[in-house]
Amino acid sequence: MSDRPIRRLPRGGRARGRSSGTGIPRRALPALLATGLLAGAATGCGAIPRDAQGPLARASGGTLRVGLTENPPWTEVAADGGVSGSEVDLVTGYAESIDAKIAWTIGSEGELARAMRDGKLDVVIGGLTRDTPYSTEIAPTRPYTEATADDGSTLKIAMGVRPGENALMVSLERYLAEQEGEL
Amino acid sequence: MNRTEEETGQGGRGEPAPETAEASGHDALPEEQRRILRRAIRLEWISLACTAVAVTLEIAMAGQSQAMKAAWIEDALALLPPLAFLVAVRRIRRRPHAEFPYGHHRSIGVAHLVASVALLAMGTFLLIDSAITLIKVERPPVGLTIVAGHAIWSGWLMIAVLILALTPPLILGRMKKKLTEPLHDKVLYADADMNTADWSSSTASIVGVLGIGIGLWWFDSAAAILISFSILHDGGKNLRGALRGLTDGRARTYDDAEPHPLIGQIEERARDEDWVGDAVARVRDEGHVFHVEMFVVPGDGRAVTGAQCEDLRAALRDVDWKIHDVVIAPVAEIPSTQAFRG
Repeated sequence: MSDRPIRRLPRGGRARGRSSGTGIPRRALPALLATGLLAGAATGCGAIPRDAQGPLARASGGTLRVGLTENPPWTEVAADGGVSGSEVDLVTGYAESIDAKIAWTIGSEGELARAMRDGKLDVVIGGLTRDTPYSTEIAPTRPYTEATADDGSTLKIAMGVRPGENALMVSLERYLAEQEGEL
Repeated sequence: MNRTEEETGQGGRGEPAPETAEASGHDALPEEQRRILRRAIRLEWISLACTAVAVTLEIAMAGQSQAMKAAWIEDALALLPPLAFLVAVRRIRRRPHAEFPYGHHRSIGVAHLVASVALLAMGTFLLIDSAITLIKVERPPVGLTIVAGHAIWSGWLMIAVLILALTPPLILGRMKKKLTEPLHDKVLYADADMNTADWSSSTASIVGVLGIGIGLWWFDSAAAILISFSILHDGGKNLRGALRGLTDGRARTYDDAEPHPLIGQIEERARDEDWVGDAVARVRDEGHVFHVEMFVVPGDGRAVTGAQCEDLRAALRDVDWKIHDVVIAPVAEIPSTQAFRG
């Protein structure tokens, strides 16, 4: 560097630091990419958002895999293994809306979180709250209703979806909002 | 660009130093530069205000969200360069005295160091944060938001907020970069780089959200990692420049791209004097202005007087306002371990 001769600039000339000419500046790349993505999205790459692994497409006309942890009045499990509760009704209604049958898995929240991580479930119900400790494995939907806990605090009740499956998430959230009269 | 700004640019076509020999700090700058400095100070206050508002909003919105936490830590780092700049321009107002015979111009160098470290920290933070997300395969959930009875994918809202957030640094950064050259201000230069880092990482986030929208969960982190390399590059460049300046490296241009052309010009000016046989300068950057030690070998058999040295000092200061603190050292031959020809 130091042995380079001193470069005199012509009068009114400018040093480097400005990208004139035709080359695409490196920093414009993200913007170009964004434009490309937007254009791609707009011209029929399917609706946004899409799932990371496509559970909504798989469940539609097929099977929705729902994990259930017992938590009355949201979810109850009878002695014969039959399930009921307000969230069971809601998720059954949702499955009908996308023409899906439900495959139930019953377990504790921790067991369901592991099953979710291993890709064996699409949705988890059981009166989950937004601040579930398993939020790395189970992404809570936007709260569809509120309840009051024993200690008087307000609980924001949500269902759980596999993280990153945003088409499924948005579709379920939309159904819940419609059922609760928000939409 | 108006004519005056072109003239004051790099290449030593600037105004001569102001008359007062004791001038320091803001007084060392000619009227044009003082006007630019006032403008820069105004821009930095606006920057500070914008960033402070953004950080406050992000802290309020952060809650449990790891992503928002990352966003405000990142933005809080963007507060450092403007703060360093504003503190430094206050300090350089002080005149030289017995304890600080060189004046306080070096404060600019210290602020440049602070700004470049902030830039490096931001790049490092972004890189590590994104790499961890990638390695842990954290697929970001982005669901629905209901605004006034209309359902909208939260990703679109995030993009709207990000576009709002990236606009001030995009505009301010460009405005600052224009001032760095005529003012020869490296803190401002580093801060303009910080603004670039700021808006380009927001752009990366927009790309990331769009990527999530089409089901590519890794897109957000990958875009952030790409941008972090560019931020680290700028941070490293500025850090090298700041350290070089503070450790008395040869004065370089405002962007540290090359040795400053004024060095050659003042040597030529010194050699133009009748009584001077040879002259080589040792020049360091004090921040805005230079400190010059001019080694002068008198021509054959010539005696040197104090008045001649004084005249030469004045003549060199007339070359450009940046030639500020000049010492003439008459010697029998150019000391080869102290002065080097360009």
